[in-house]
Amino acid sequence: MNDTSTETDTLEQLLSRTAIHDRAAFAELYRQTSPRLFGLCVRMLGDRGEAEEVLQEAFIAIWRRAGGYNPALASAGTWLTTLVRNRAIDRLRQRRADTHADPLEFERLPDEGRGPAAHAEASEDYRRLERCLGQLDPKHSRSVREAFFTGATYKELAMRCQVPLATMKSWIRRALLQLRTCLET
Amino acid sequence: MTTPSDEDNGELRYAEYVLGVLDADARAAVEREIAASSAAAAAEAQWSRRLSPLAEEIAAETPPERLWLRIRMALQFDARAEPAGSRLWGNLRLWHWLTLGTGALLVAACAALVFIFISRPPAPAIPYMAATITETDGQVGWTATMDISKARMIVVPAAPQPVRPGRTPELWLIPHGGRPIAVGLISTRAPITLALSASLVARLGPTARLAVSIEPPGGSPTGQPTGPVIAAGAIGAASAAPASAAALRLVSRPRQAA
Repeated sequence: MNDTSTETDTLEQLLSRTAIHDRAAFAELYRQTSPRLFGLCVRMLGDRGEAEEVLQEAFIAIWRRAGGYNPALASAGTWLTTLVRNRAIDRLRQRRADTHADPLEFERLPDEGRGPAAHAEASEDYRRLERCLGQLDPKHSRSVREAFFTGATYKELAMRCQVPLATMKSWIRRALLQLRTCLET
Repeated sequence: MTTPSDEDNGELRYAEYVLGVLDADARAAVEREIAASSAAAAAEAQWSRRLSPLAEEIAAETPPERLWLRIRMALQFDARAEPAGSRLWGNLRLWHWLTLGTGALLVAACAALVFIFISRPPAPAIPYMAATITETDGQVGWTATMDISKARMIVVPAAPQPVRPGRTPELWLIPHGGRPIAVGLISTRAPITLALSASLVARLGPTARLAVSIEPPGGSPTGQPTGPVIAAGAIGAASAAPASAAALRLVSRPRQAA
């Protein structure tokens, strides 16, 4: 369990009540989770209007698919985050042009994450992940963060970071395998 | 680091899917795999558990109130409403959550919006109307609420299609058998409060229609719609609403090329 177990339990209860179309539970779920999920959409899409559309689609999907949530596979927070990120990524793939095509000042990106907005609320899972990311080559961890927060493809990441595609794939794949090992220990 | 093994490469597909680095075709292939195989679904879930805590680095940001209204509209949480007592009018939070069993969606949305945009809470028995302007793609374009006693209409954009630069949407009231009467210019971005003339208020009723057309800046130069009409609908009494209220339902028409 982690530091936010109480909240997680509550979210899981709300999600299971949403699965039987309890509107009050759904409204409370929205109240509790929409600020974080909206922040995520705005960050990934870079456009508030699109972020609203994606979050709307996501909550409609949550209402309809809550019955498919399996607590044995993921916490409610993970399930919600994953659902919203997938919607945002799908939306990004529908865009014709890469709106983030400008090359990044890659070396100037911070090595470390910004940390949770309220660090005291950071879950144990986050702290472990942050520690493991900190053990990676800084270029690799930056690439993983950039990918996670912008939903960019390998190709887009390679262009932004001005490295060959094969290099970017290698960085991220190594980072993912190292993260897996680190998180399992 | 060494080169990833074949087994690792298989597992990495799910990690890459979760991270979001795959292109659309590769994503779709992994999604089919996840749908078909519980082992693939478990691998995907495991990578979601590993990576999703990164989302905690992002600052929370409260979405605008209209988003919740749009979600409720899309899910048709529009059950019946209890007649509103005066105490209820002042309780925005109650209105906000009034989907519970009894809340007429449009009435609740209307009440919440009236409360937000009109500082003095209205008396309980005020007649009001609400309109949901749904576009051809099924999205709610605007929500319009009318406070009859104050002769005001508030038109809030939900997700209207963008209007071509140099054009503006204009709202019209079309009395039965009559010519359109300009209600005012509305916006695809910001809530607009329109004053309703006494003659216009008098024409609001179950036989009148509303329409939105696309006009030049400043509105139609002729006093009649000159651009394509993008939505229209009849005013109908909402059976679920309090006796003093009626609801408008706008049925969209295919948008003409602007």
